[in-house]
Amino acid sequence: MTELCDLSAADLAARIRAGDVSAVEALDSALARIAAVDGRPGALDSGDLTAEDAAKVHAFITLTEDRARAQAEAIDKKLAAGEIPGPLAGVPFTVKDIFVVEGTPSTAASRMLANFTAPYTATPVARLEAAGGVMLGKVNLDEFTYGSSNESSAFQPHPRNPWDPSRVVGGSSGGSAAAVAAGEGALSLGTDTAGSIRQPAAFCGVVGVKPTYGRVSRYGLIAFGSSLDCPGPIARDITDAALMLNAIAGPDARDATAATLPVPDYTAGLEDGVKGLRIGLSPDFFKITYYNHDTGEMEERPLPDDITAAVMQAADKLSDAGARIIENVPMPHTRYGIPAYFVISRVEAASNLHRFDGVKYGHRTAEKAADLRSMYRKTRAEAFGPQPKLRILMGMYVSAAQYSEQYYQRALKVRSLIRRDFDLAYDPNGTHKLDALLTPTTPTTAFPIGDVYGDSVLMQYADQLTVTADHAGIPGISLPGGLDAAGLPIGIQLLGPDFSEATLFRIGRTYEKETAAAAWRAARPKVLG
Amino acid sequence: MTQYEAIIGLETHIQLNTQTKIFCGCKADSWDDAPNTNICPVCSGLPGSLPVPNAAVVAKAVRLAKAMQADIQAESYFDRKNYFYPDLPKGYQITQYDKSIATGGHMDVPMPDGSTRRVGIHKLHMEEDAGKTRNEKGRRLIDFNRCGVPLIEMVTGPDLRSADEAAEYLIRLRQLLRWLDISEADMEKAHLRTDANVSIRVRGETHLNTKTEIKNVNSIESLRAAVEKEIARQIQAYEAGERIEAWTLDWDENAQTLRKMRSKETEADYRYFKDPDLLAVRLEPAWLEGVLADFPELPLARRARFIEQYGLPEYDANILTSERSLSDYFEAAAAAYAGDVKRVSNWMMNDVLKLLNERGLEAGQLKLRPEQLAEIIQLVDANTINTPTGKSLLEKVQDSGHSPQEIVAAEGLSQVSDSGALRELAEKIIASSPDNVEKYRAGKDSLIGWFVGQLMRESQGKADPNAARAILEELLKG
Repeated sequence: MTELCDLSAADLAARIRAGDVSAVEALDSALARIAAVDGRPGALDSGDLTAEDAAKVHAFITLTEDRARAQAEAIDKKLAAGEIPGPLAGVPFTVKDIFVVEGTPSTAASRMLANFTAPYTATPVARLEAAGGVMLGKVNLDEFTYGSSNESSAFQPHPRNPWDPSRVVGGSSGGSAAAVAAGEGALSLGTDTAGSIRQPAAFCGVVGVKPTYGRVSRYGLIAFGSSLDCPGPIARDITDAALMLNAIAGPDARDATAATLPVPDYTAGLEDGVKGLRIGLSPDFFKITYYNHDTGEMEERPLPDDITAAVMQAADKLSDAGARIIENVPMPHTRYGIPAYFVISRVEAASNLHRFDGVKYGHRTAEKAADLRSMYRKTRAEAFGPQPKLRILMGMYVSAAQYSEQYYQRALKVRSLIRRDFDLAYDPNGTHKLDALLTPTTPTTAFPIGDVYGDSVLMQYADQLTVTADHAGIPGISLPGGLDAAGLPIGIQLLGPDFSEATLFRIGRTYEKETAAAAWRAARPKVLG
Repeated sequence: MTQYEAIIGLETHIQLNTQTKIFCGCKADSWDDAPNTNICPVCSGLPGSLPVPNAAVVAKAVRLAKAMQADIQAESYFDRKNYFYPDLPKGYQITQYDKSIATGGHMDVPMPDGSTRRVGIHKLHMEEDAGKTRNEKGRRLIDFNRCGVPLIEMVTGPDLRSADEAAEYLIRLRQLLRWLDISEADMEKAHLRTDANVSIRVRGETHLNTKTEIKNVNSIESLRAAVEKEIARQIQAYEAGERIEAWTLDWDENAQTLRKMRSKETEADYRYFKDPDLLAVRLEPAWLEGVLADFPELPLARRARFIEQYGLPEYDANILTSERSLSDYFEAAAAAYAGDVKRVSNWMMNDVLKLLNERGLEAGQLKLRPEQLAEIIQLVDANTINTPTGKSLLEKVQDSGHSPQEIVAAEGLSQVSDSGALRELAEKIIASSPDNVEKYRAGKDSLIGWFVGQLMRESQGKADPNAARAILEELLKG
C-alpha cells in the first residue's frame, strides 16, 4: 500500500482538501518515514560513523516537529471551518538550512551559525507556509552551500544517497534531494548557484528546478554568490515542482533583484504536449573539459555512455511526441563556465562571509583575544570549515586591486559570452530558434562517498553542465531520465530562455508521460526497501 | 605667512533628511532613540537580508548634483567596500565607487572680501552610514541605529586657500542643503561631518606638497581653528627644514588641538566590486524631470538677484537669502508692498527677524503673512499708525491671526493727528507741569522730549509724535 508520504504533493493536497485524510495524518506519515530512514540528524562534533549510520539518509539538521504539528492542526481546523487553506494544504515540505526561518536554528551547515536562531523568515518559506505547506524542518547541505556532495557539512553524519547510501547525495541541496527521494516530505526548498538544485536532484532521482534569476526572492537566503543564487523547488515530479514554483515565485519588495514580471500558473499548460517545440542538442554538453594539473592543458573527456544514451533516448521520446529536435547547436563557451564561476562566486562569497565576525551573532571564540583583530582571526579560524576558508582565500586574491582586472573583470566578460551562447540559441530570429536545450544534468551519476571530496577543483566539475545556466540567469530543470548500469539515477536537463519555466515544465511533463511505462520508473530507492 | 599659500580640500559626509534609511524601512533619524532600538534584519546585517534602495535618497542626490552643476548619470551603481569593523555589520559598506550618481561640478563660493572662489567637486556619491562604537571601561559598545542612514559624500578639489575659505565653503554648503531640503545640516547632530586635507606651498609654486588629513571636525568654527592650526604647524615645520608627513590628525574639540592619530594603517585594499544585491540605479527621464521640476533658484543666485533687481546692499541680500523661506517671505512682502523695497528689507531685518528669533520660528511658519507685513508698513507710511504701533502690530497679528486693519480698528490704534484733540491733551499737560514749563521757557529746549513723551503716554501711544511736538512747541512758546 502506498503510504501518504509517498504521494505526490498534488495528490496529497487534493485528498486533504477533499477531507479524505487530515493534514495531521499526512504529517504523521512523513514523521514515521523520517523515523524509519533518516537516522540521527546532522550535528557538530558527532563522533564516528556507525554501521547503522552508514545505512541511513541523514537528511535533517533540525526537525521542527512541534511547529509542523501546530501548522497541520491549523490547516485541519481551517478545513473543518470550511475555509480554503491554499494549494499546498497540509503538504509536508523541508527547507535547505541556508534559509532563515523565524525561531528555528538557521545554521548554513556551519559551526559559524550553529547557535544562530533567526528572528525572521525567508520569503519563499513564508510563501510555502502561506500556501498551506507544513514545514518539517531544516535539511543538510554543504557548509554555506560550498560543495557538490554534502560531505563538507559541519553537521555530520552528512546525507547519504537513498538509492545507495554508500554514495553521495550531490549538493549542495543534498539534504533536500535526499529527503524528497526518501519520502521525508513531498517537497523541498533548495538553492542553485552552480547546479546545487539540479545536480543532487539528478543524483537522487527527483525533479529539481533552478528558476530564472530573480523569479524567486532571495530574501532570507544566506548568500553564497549573490548574482547567481536561485531558490527553487525539489519535488518528485514535474507537476509538484510546478505547484511549488507557483507558491514561491513572484516579486518581493524586500529583494531589489526579484523580477516584477507577473507569475503565470505553471500547472496550467502541463498537459499541452510539445508539438512544434524546437528542442536543441549541443555537442558542448556531451563532454567535460577540465584543467590537467600535470600538463597545464585543458583536456576533454566524453560522458559515460549510460548518460549520453539516456539523453538521446529522451530526445527520441520528445521527437515522437511531436517536438522538433535540432542537433549541433554550438555552445562554445560552456567549457569556460567553471573557471569563470570559480572567480565570480568566490569574490561574492568572500564578501558575503565578511559579516561572520563574532561580533553580533554566531560563533565567537571562547579564547581571550588580545585585540579585535585576533578575535576576528580566532573566531573565523575556529568556525569556518575548509570550504569557506578556500573560498575566502581565493575570493580575496582575485578581487585584490592588483588582480581584479586579470581575474574578476575577465570572468565577468566570460559570463557575458556564456549568456550570448544562450541568447543566440534561443533567438527567435536566429539560426536555431530553440525553445529549450536538452542536455545531461551531470557528467556522472552519484559517486562514492570519499571519492572526490578533498579535491575541490575536481568536485567543482560536477557542475560543469549546470553552471552556465547560473551564469546566464536562465531557468533549468533536472528530471529523472533512467538508471545507469549500477541502478543509480541519471538526470536529464532542460534549459530555456528567461522566464520559460512553463515551457520547460510542459516538456518535462510530456517526457514523464512518454516514459510512464518504462521499467526504471518502477524502481525505488534502496533505503525504502 | 604671506609667502605661503594653503591648499585645502574638504570631504564632507552629508546626512540626508529622508524619512527612512537608505536600504530598509527603519526611520533615518535615531537622534532620540536608545542604542540598537531603530534596527532591522537589513540594517543590522543579519544573514539572508537584502538591501532595497530608497528612491528618496536618489532624488536628493540628484538635486544636490544639479545644484553643483555636476553631470547627473543616467546609470550608476552601488559597490561594496569591504573591510572589517565591529560597527559595520555586513563587513562591507554599500557605497558608490567608479560609477557614481554624478561626476564633475563646482560651487562658486562668495568670500567676505567680495571675491568668489570656484570650488571643484571631485566626487559626489550616495552611501550608507555605519554604526557607532564607544569605548567604555575597556569594552567596546556598539550602536547599530546609525547603520544604513543615508549619506552623500562630497569631495572638493584642492581649491580652497585658507581656513576662512574652508569655513565659508561649509557655511554655503550648509545653507544650500537646507535650501534644497536635502539635509537638516545640523552640525551638532553630525549631519555634516567634514575631513580636511591640508598642505602648504610657497606662493607662486604650482605643485602640490604632501598633505595631512584632519578628521573629526564637527563645527564650522572647529574647521576654521583646526585648519588654521595645521597651516601654522606646517609652515613652522617647513621653515625648520622638517619634512611634512602624510599624517592623519584628530581634532580635539575640548583642547582645541590637533593630535596625530596613532598610526595610519597601510593603504587598505577595499576590494570594491558592484554589489550584486542591487540593480543599476537607472534614472528614467520622466522621473528625473519630476524630481527637478520644482528646482528652486539657489541662494547665491538669489542673493545676486536681490542686489541687482532690488538694489539691496550686499549685507541685506546676504541675510535675506540666508534661509529659503525667509527669502521667499521677503519677496512676497516686497511684491505686496509695491514701494521702496529697502523699506521692506529694513522691517525684515530689524523686526521680522527679531520676531523669528524670539519665537524660534522659520519665516514659512509665521502666521503673520507677507502681505500683512506689507500692509503694516503701508499703514505706517500713510501715518495711519505710528512706527511703534506698527512694530507692536507685527506681534499682535502673529498672536491673534487677525488682519492688521481689524486690530487697528478694534483697538483704536489709529494715530491721533487731529489737532483739536492733540491741543486739548497738550494744554492739559502744560497746565499740570508748571515747573517744567518754567524751565523750558527759561531755555531748557531739551525738555520738549519730555513733553512729547507725556503726550504720547496720555494718548496711549496713538498720537502722531510730529504733530504733537509742533503743537506743544507752539503752546509753550506762546
